[in-house]
Amino acid sequence: MLGDPVLLLLPQNAGKEEFARYHRLLGLDQPLYVQYWKFASAAVRGDFGKSWYADTPAFRLVLERMPATLYLTLAGLVVALVLALPLGILAALRRHSWVDSLCTALAVAGQATPLFWLGIMLIIVFAVRLKALPASGYGTWQHFLLPSFCLGAALAPITMRLVRSGVIEVMNMEFIKTARAKGVSEPMVVIKHAFRNACIPVITVLGLQFGQLLGGAIITETVFAWPGVATLTVESIRNQDFPVVQCAVILLALVIVTVNLIVDLLVGVIDPRIRTG
Amino acid sequence: MSRMLAVGAIAVLVTVLGVVPDAPAQTKDDTVVYAIQSDMQNWDPPNSVLRESIIMGYNVFDHLAARDLKTGKVGPSLATSWRNLDDTTWEVKLRPNVKFHDGTKFTARDVKATFDRVLNPENKITARGNHAKIKSVEVVDEGTVRFKTDGPYPLFVERMTALVMQSEKVIKEKGHEWMQENPVGTGPYKLVKWTRKQEHLLVRNDDYWGPKPAFKYVRVRIIPEQATQIAELMAGGVDIIKAVPPDQMDVINKSGAARTSTSPILRTAFLQLDQAGRAGKNPFQHKRVRQAANLAVDIDGIIKHVLNGLGDRTATTVNPMAFGFDANLKPYKQDAAAAKKLLADAGYPNGFEVGFLTTAPTVEPALPQTSEAISADLAKVGIRTKQRYVGEVGPFTNLVRDNKADPIFTWSWGYYSIFDADAILYDVMKCGEPYSYYCNPALDDLIAQGRSTLDQKKRLEIYAKAQKLIHDDAAYLFKWGLRGVWGISNRVEYEAPRDEVDRMFVVTPRKK
Repeated sequence: MLGDPVLLLLPQNAGKEEFARYHRLLGLDQPLYVQYWKFASAAVRGDFGKSWYADTPAFRLVLERMPATLYLTLAGLVVALVLALPLGILAALRRHSWVDSLCTALAVAGQATPLFWLGIMLIIVFAVRLKALPASGYGTWQHFLLPSFCLGAALAPITMRLVRSGVIEVMNMEFIKTARAKGVSEPMVVIKHAFRNACIPVITVLGLQFGQLLGGAIITETVFAWPGVATLTVESIRNQDFPVVQCAVILLALVIVTVNLIVDLLVGVIDPRIRTG
Repeated sequence: MSRMLAVGAIAVLVTVLGVVPDAPAQTKDDTVVYAIQSDMQNWDPPNSVLRESIIMGYNVFDHLAARDLKTGKVGPSLATSWRNLDDTTWEVKLRPNVKFHDGTKFTARDVKATFDRVLNPENKITARGNHAKIKSVEVVDEGTVRFKTDGPYPLFVERMTALVMQSEKVIKEKGHEWMQENPVGTGPYKLVKWTRKQEHLLVRNDDYWGPKPAFKYVRVRIIPEQATQIAELMAGGVDIIKAVPPDQMDVINKSGAARTSTSPILRTAFLQLDQAGRAGKNPFQHKRVRQAANLAVDIDGIIKHVLNGLGDRTATTVNPMAFGFDANLKPYKQDAAAAKKLLADAGYPNGFEVGFLTTAPTVEPALPQTSEAISADLAKVGIRTKQRYVGEVGPFTNLVRDNKADPIFTWSWGYYSIFDADAILYDVMKCGEPYSYYCNPALDDLIAQGRSTLDQKKRLEIYAKAQKLIHDDAAYLFKWGLRGVWGISNRVEYEAPRDEVDRMFVVTPRKK
């Protein structure tokens, strides 16, 4: 981030003294180590300073917008799973059939589609043409449909392919043969034995992908005017509002770490070997 | 596991639906929806430099004077009349029986409190610089205020349209911090709810002193992405959008749901030529070279073919809507042969190569395309430009301030909504100003004369002289006055405003 935030706070025709006064006001005239110490010592106490732009505490601004982003990413995650799990399992069970080819083609197309374009297309079809859903905004359940689908569609392909390869691998294992030999019905074999084992890599990767999902949220939020923390961050970068950027980056990093911790614990729940090991 | 997933999914949906805020008690028919690209910093218009603040300020507050959109002239608002007692004293009569949204009466004491708050340097209000010529404000009686100015102040009346009137009671009792989020004005609408970066909901002020707005509610939605704004306009989710890119005009006009409206706006675009040599010695320090540059380029053709007609040719930097604009002065006409001859006379028979600094088209639509076209025309007479692109406006502006621009660089000026030649000449053409790469003591003299008399006739003469000087000296490479494009839903009547201030209280439902 280059540049001088004061330029954006003052009118272009403001005098030199006015600029100097604002520099003093924001503490920008102090040496770097002093500025950093001030920041770091306050940040650990949850005080990220006031937004230079909005004159309100940065922490409050970010916190206010955090729920919208979390809801969107979670809804996107749900959409991704709803799309990826059945398709992945189906593709694995009907390996090398036309179903498998179709699912793979869908996945490749999905992975190749830019989020931004998909969002605009969804808006044009569902809001402008069909007038079935709101084009943008936040507030009702209808507002969730397009953005969460958009975000979910970006994550679904990789998840689907992981589910597929996981299930294929597990289906060839000895314990599946044992289960079948015991007379367990085929659906139970797939769901209880194969899928549960195939889940572990999927969940691990989903945890890692959560960061990507937040990245995707930046684009999705912008296209759908979603009032989340991602657009706030981008806007703050544009406005050179350092306190808000710092606060948002740190809190988002915290979210990603927490999600990965949850994933690790979850994997333990699913696979007792990991828990005891 | 699948049960766990299902439970998780339901939990997410429940949380998601649980946070849905109550729908406001309003219907589509009594609401007009306006979209802006980014939210404002606060609800305290003098404490912000953003246009969004000016716009929202107009809808919730009143000013002492207001511009008539049809004539462009400044007329009464909260002030009913004004006159000079002497060169440095203005007496302003106020409208009686006006009430703030909190029910208190608007009087001369509120005017004084508003100006005192802005003018006090301790308060660090951003708008202070705009009003610093005012030395003091005196209450004569409940309906009369006197302003003492530091020398003659011909922009006084213009500036009265640029400061919203706030309440003395609020300033004294509630204070600065509270005012950042709670506007108490006298305007046609009142703020109901502000959801930061998302939406403002306004409701009609039924006690308003002026004409009642047609729509009971105004929803101002913040939609950062332009494509989404246009989609919303066509889908019926939004009624008015601004800054439509020229290439999207057709899409809107053919949709059957909305139309576009254009208006000249108070912003002039031009290319600065480093006559003052601030970034080092360069060929543009010769008058003939600057004239050659102006003669080399087919500005009219560029307006027609590149800008789709969305520009108004200017002979100098002075905008046709600004006071002092001289319509008799004719712009340079393309003449490549004459340009080549001037270059040869100046000692550049084979032309020269020179840097050309440009930036992103944030305020000037199609800037990359028009800059390319200008470069091509310049090359034809021998002025070969090497473009340097700095996409971020902040660092670009820094380069200009720090004497690090190129001999040619792109620039435009929005006059800070002051419809007066002084608002551009002083800031962008006077010796030594941070953004002026032109320096001519003869022009400085005229600028000083223009701001030191209240005689508007005399000022017109002075500015006519100044424009002739700027034109003949080819101070910069002159381009055009910009035009703005608005998108308007077919369910409302509205027209693009010439001062770029969208007034929701003039929007009416379209008759079917």
